[in-house]
Amino acid sequence: MKALIDALGPLWGSLAGIGLSLVYMVVVLLTVAFILWFDRKVWAAVQMRKGPNMVGPVGILQSFADFIKFVLKEIVVPSGANKTIFVIAPIITVVTSFLTWAVLPVAPGWVLSDMNVGILYILAVSSLGVYGIIMGGWASNSKYPFLGALRSAAQMVSYEVSIGFVIVCVLLVVGSLNLTDIVNHQKAGIWDWNAFAFIGALMHGGSPAKMGMAFVVGLILFAMSVVFFISALAETNRPPFDLPEAESELVAGYQVEYSATLYLLFMMGEYVNIVFMCAMISILFLGGWNLPWGEVTNPFLGFLVLYVKIWAMFFMFAMVKAIVPRYRYDQLMRIGWKIFLPTTLVCVAIVGAYVAFFGGNA
Amino acid sequence: MNLASVTHDLAFMTPELVIAVGAMLLVLMGAFVSKSAYRAITYLSVVVLLVAGFLGVQHAPDNAQVLFNGSYVVDAFGGFAKLIIALTAACAILLSADYLAERNLEKPEYPVLALLAVLGMYVMVSAHDLLAVYMGVELQSLALYVLAAYARDDRKSSEAGLKYFVLGALSSGILLYGVSLIYGFTGTINFGKLMTIAKDTSNVGLIFGMVFVLSGIAFKMSVAPFHMWTPDVYEGAPTPSTAFFATAPKMAAAILLGRFLFEAFGEVVSQWRDVVSIMAVLSMFVGAIFALQQTNMKRLLAYSSILNMGYAMVAIAAGPVYGPSALLLFTAIYAITSVGMFGVLLSMRDAKGKEITKISGYSGLSKQRPLLSLALTIMFFSITGIPPLLGFFGKFQIFIAAVDGGVMPLALILVIASVISAFYYLRVLKVVWFDEPSVEIVGGLATTKVTVTGVTLMIALLTPFIGLIYTASMAAGHFFK
Amino acid sequence: MLQIAAFYILAAVALISAIMVVSAKNPVHSVMFLITIFVTTSGLFVLAGAEYLAMLLIVVYVGAVAVLFLFVVMMLDIDFVELKQGFMRYAPFGALVALVLFAMFVLVASAVVEAKVDPHVLASPTPALDVANNTQAIGRILYTDYILFFQLAGMVLFVAMIGAIVLTLRHKPYVKRQNVGKQVARTRKTGVENTKPKIGEGVSL
Repeated sequence: MKALIDALGPLWGSLAGIGLSLVYMVVVLLTVAFILWFDRKVWAAVQMRKGPNMVGPVGILQSFADFIKFVLKEIVVPSGANKTIFVIAPIITVVTSFLTWAVLPVAPGWVLSDMNVGILYILAVSSLGVYGIIMGGWASNSKYPFLGALRSAAQMVSYEVSIGFVIVCVLLVVGSLNLTDIVNHQKAGIWDWNAFAFIGALMHGGSPAKMGMAFVVGLILFAMSVVFFISALAETNRPPFDLPEAESELVAGYQVEYSATLYLLFMMGEYVNIVFMCAMISILFLGGWNLPWGEVTNPFLGFLVLYVKIWAMFFMFAMVKAIVPRYRYDQLMRIGWKIFLPTTLVCVAIVGAYVAFFGGNA
Repeated sequence: MNLASVTHDLAFMTPELVIAVGAMLLVLMGAFVSKSAYRAITYLSVVVLLVAGFLGVQHAPDNAQVLFNGSYVVDAFGGFAKLIIALTAACAILLSADYLAERNLEKPEYPVLALLAVLGMYVMVSAHDLLAVYMGVELQSLALYVLAAYARDDRKSSEAGLKYFVLGALSSGILLYGVSLIYGFTGTINFGKLMTIAKDTSNVGLIFGMVFVLSGIAFKMSVAPFHMWTPDVYEGAPTPSTAFFATAPKMAAAILLGRFLFEAFGEVVSQWRDVVSIMAVLSMFVGAIFALQQTNMKRLLAYSSILNMGYAMVAIAAGPVYGPSALLLFTAIYAITSVGMFGVLLSMRDAKGKEITKISGYSGLSKQRPLLSLALTIMFFSITGIPPLLGFFGKFQIFIAAVDGGVMPLALILVIASVISAFYYLRVLKVVWFDEPSVEIVGGLATTKVTVTGVTLMIALLTPFIGLIYTASMAAGHFFK
Repeated sequence: MLQIAAFYILAAVALISAIMVVSAKNPVHSVMFLITIFVTTSGLFVLAGAEYLAMLLIVVYVGAVAVLFLFVVMMLDIDFVELKQGFMRYAPFGALVALVLFAMFVLVASAVVEAKVDPHVLASPTPALDVANNTQAIGRILYTDYILFFQLAGMVLFVAMIGAIVLTLRHKPYVKRQNVGKQVARTRKTGVENTKPKIGEGVSL
């Protein structure tokens, strides 16, 4: 953004920045459209159904048909609802879900805002996302949405904590809050990707003590990537942690009273967040845009690599949804507070000690 | 600063470290050992406090050590205060053991919270910049709020906790507002630097900030215009918590106020003497007159503590030359006597084991529990200031300091307030010695007995050694100037 | 230019929201406006070049504190009419306090204008951006110069945590709790019993 303003002047630079943001949004939205279809296809395949297959070849245009249907329907606002907040809530969800993409580098040099505190920005904005759900649940003035909103808020706040600690582990190892730096740290190859750094630790050598510690830290990072994946499921209200909208208990949770475009916005925000989480896992743990055998410098190739990784991660999300039964609420809270939080905290301490005494990987 | 200087500074903070680490270990013990560990944790916390208190005296350096870029000071003045704080807090914790166990409140968190409150008091006593002041005050009061609401199923206790919390938060806000004013005008929060700046410039903002900070601390000290929470909180909180509130925190807040005014504004006494004097007069009268109509012993002691903090304010008004040693000696003696009085209060149980807080319930105590009555009498005589007892010397010292420091009117008001207050102390003693017994009074339990005996003996027996304490406190007080 | 415009917009929104926090009829709306203040303030922090603080403000206050506010406010059953009743009665007193504070504010502000401020007060203690960025600069002094207060802040939070647990944790005897360790440790041996009861006798459970 700053580079654009420097190059094109304040007016055209800003406009170009806005245009670039629009391109980002369109790409993300198109991805969401196809990923929705992919989600349903995977789910169907696991259950030996066909899934969507009527609109377009193998149903690939299903999401667009749904989109048109939602937009054309009438928005129903319940009579007892708090109108302003009822309408604002889904907008907040969708806006915050897009905001996070601003600092996400998608290829070498391709990033809207190369912030120093990129990761913190992501944490901050994703914590704003809770408000859409709470406000929506409350403004509906109805029991089920309210309960769903409460559940969801508690769940998202809880899992943000462990996500934060996992990220701190990665930051300590990398030594920067900048996402591009994090990706560049993993450029050598798959053995240097944070998730598999324990292999790299053995390959890099050094004194036995340092090698041993690096190996342990590598293993911790692998564990952290698993914790991050599970927390991401909970953070985005995906099954098996989709308690806010548990249909058997709460009908549809905070979305009960929503219809048409407003519902579409909620849905869209949720899926944008999911795709974002997939991208985050790829960047934090799976080498971002780098190939398993080496660095990528061509932005187009890099973008393609990251895109494939996002889809692969989403495949995992979809499989979990298809295979794992839903958790009970107290179990969810138990995992978050009694297992993830202490584990990640201890891991932060170990990684911190490693960085302090061996100066990290650098 | 680098790691070496941090460790160098930390070496002077052994007492604080002992308390902090002790509290954390005891929490772990409470969490992982079964509920029966409550007693052990209580006694261990007493041990921790005693160790910390003695380390504080023993480790006190020959010269005042200013640590952490001038934000923390370790000296004999603080060492003496820390010893008394640790001692009285240990007594208060001992007093709590049986009381809480009898009411099914025996959770290991109680002594731990008390320990952490003491840590806050240590920081307050040693604070040498406003950030340390604030952190210490917050650490101390946050723990005290919880201790006030500790019997959470009891309406009065919850109310006490809530009231204490809301008003305490307000006072913290006032304190912070003052701190921000001071920082905005001088660019420093360090006492030493403030001293030079205050001397050179007369600055409205600085004085405003000073008064705000003063008010914030006065709130914690429960000095007159900021005293209104005291009786309600004292009455509502569980009695051991009240015993704790009335002793160590009062002393810490008084010492903190003294240090703040003497060390940061000691060169501009005229700027704050009037404010402090007015507070002193007000709290002496509020403490003396409102106490006359109390029927509840806890409320009576609340007003008594307001009164005594008024005396402490007189010592502060005496200025940085004569004030410190008087302040130190008086608050130390007050804290010790006070914990003894609460020990007596906790010993008053009727046949069903319920505590007796009404003054009328004390009637004829001398016929049932002569020793307890004797202890109460000694303590009341001491706090009134009857000559051979310990309390006299504290008051006398303040009187001298006030005369020397040029606040003669305050000295006179102090005498008048003492006479008025003597009336209500003696009224209780009359009920104890000359009225007919109304209810059967069962004595206190083991730890209570130990504490009461200990404190009584201290008051009675230390009198011969008063010279020793005198010298100690004088040395400590002068040392700091 | 862009920055000045951003400053005025953010500041105006923050001020208007601040007024709305107090004057909104519905407490939930008040909390919403409070959140708006937090967000705009963090925007102001970004403009001032303190991006670390800005993000922290949002993560801590908006992400955690305000969510809990909202939780409590939403669940409280507040009678708004009753809440407003005392307003007129206490309004004069409140106005008086506000007036006194405002007078002081003016006094202090005028003193600021008059006073010759010590030059070292104005000297910026933060290092230049090319030496250390915001996060590094804060980290450097937090763990050296302010280590004592950092640790003390930890103790304060520790007290708050213990206090919250002591005052709220209740183990109700009639609530069945899941003991995961026990469930996992359960084997076929402890869970199943094979008996051959005689006909008509049944088994004892």
